[in-house]
Amino acid sequence: MIYKDIGKKIQKAREAAGLCQETLASRLGYTQAALSNYELGKRRLYLANIEQIAKELNKPLSYFLEESPVPAKTEQGEPRDETIAEIIRLLSELPAEERHYLLEYIKWRRDRLR
Amino acid sequence: MIGFDLNEEQLGYQNMARTFAEQEMKPYAAELDRRQGTAFDWGIVRRFAKANLLGLGVPQEYGGLGVDHLTAAVVTEELGAACLGMSEPVGSTWLATCCLKLVGNEDQKRRYLPLVCGEHATLAGLAVTEPEAGSDMAAIRTQATRKEDHYILNGTKAFITNAGLAGFYIVFATTDPRKRDSGLNAFIVDGDAQGLTLGKVEEMMGLRASQVGELIFDNVEVPLENLLGVENTGYLIAMQTLDMSRPGMGATAVGVARSAFETALAYARERTQYGRPIIANQAIAFMLADMATEIEAARLLTWKASWLIDQGMDSTMASSMCKVVATEMAERVCSRAIQILGGQGYTRRWPLEKYLRDVKALQIYEGTNQIQRIIISSML
Repeated sequence: MIYKDIGKKIQKAREAAGLCQETLASRLGYTQAALSNYELGKRRLYLANIEQIAKELNKPLSYFLEESPVPAKTEQGEPRDETIAEIIRLLSELPAEERHYLLEYIKWRRDRLR
Repeated sequence: MIGFDLNEEQLGYQNMARTFAEQEMKPYAAELDRRQGTAFDWGIVRRFAKANLLGLGVPQEYGGLGVDHLTAAVVTEELGAACLGMSEPVGSTWLATCCLKLVGNEDQKRRYLPLVCGEHATLAGLAVTEPEAGSDMAAIRTQATRKEDHYILNGTKAFITNAGLAGFYIVFATTDPRKRDSGLNAFIVDGDAQGLTLGKVEEMMGLRASQVGELIFDNVEVPLENLLGVENTGYLIAMQTLDMSRPGMGATAVGVARSAFETALAYARERTQYGRPIIANQAIAFMLADMATEIEAARLLTWKASWLIDQGMDSTMASSMCKVVATEMAERVCSRAIQILGGQGYTRRWPLEKYLRDVKALQIYEGTNQIQRIIISSML
């Protein structure tokens, strides 16, 4: 369960970095088949593997380990703010209608502060 | 394809474990079951230490036996077959050393793994569960606060096997409860650390040869170098450790079931009613046939999960499956064995009622069977 999620994130980060499996695998000292198995979640990823991959792909370790209900959280290079992270986490638990209502409220608050 | 034969080394370990279980465990099982929590019997630990079984999974370079997971499953089946309660101190030590082996750095492994090896070995324990955080690990409240060159731990752990006995514990605590999973950390804590005390010791339905209780952390200082892995990676560490230890639970369940089955089979062959042994009745023979079949199926699934771990593959699903199948099978087999022995099976003259009380625990700890089903179904 965990390995599949982490594997998907590895694939995504690798693609975002414009690397093919062969290139990343050779930089990490893995075979392409091993990296493919990691991305598919078939092989057990040790913490040391994830650290190495994170370093190579220039991502924080937390990118691979934390749940990301909303992908925009860290990928747009925005600084990670605890309050925003908490809001995103809680928002994802609400039904769509509630989320829309809150969006309207935030817009209203923003307009008032202008 | 793979073969199903054990290799010579594995057969050697199986024989060693079987002899050990027959001579060093079985004779004490009934008495320790009756003593329940009055005083933990260190004689168990000394006997295990002499056979180096506490260092079962510890690599040989640190003084352990260094067996792979499949061999460990073969060994633990034998221990479970003799007494599940007495196997608990070994199981819990295995769990903690598995974790240390998985993520510990060289310094941590050098300092702690040898402690559970050799004749003077001590026990180890893994402390995850809390009064309010059972299945939901993200609800862990034991707080780890960083202060200069150490962390300070505060909180209470519950249902900890080897509580108050172990030389060291792997303790899961949070640096920030709001972060839930992402705030969890794993620490190595010395058993004699100042501020660490044993709380209530549980009185249990079974597993009475083991000690299970609370660990209370009151401003316990843990040096920075005792943080396992990287800060805030405790959730991954716990999940990986548990995935890798579950086949061991499956194997002990198979062991208990095998003992119950063997007892019932021997009885059914000897016990005569209406002028013939009761096994001559299909009603009895079919029960025994089902028991033998289910034991074999559970053993194979347990071996498969162990094999996957040894191959470096993801064993999550197979580990959960083997725990569910083996532990539920064991309860059924023990119950049927009692049925076959009739009134005799219900008494304490026979070990069957103890087997049944013991195996029930396996469906509950290290992730209830309901949690295992959540894991399996999420991977379908």
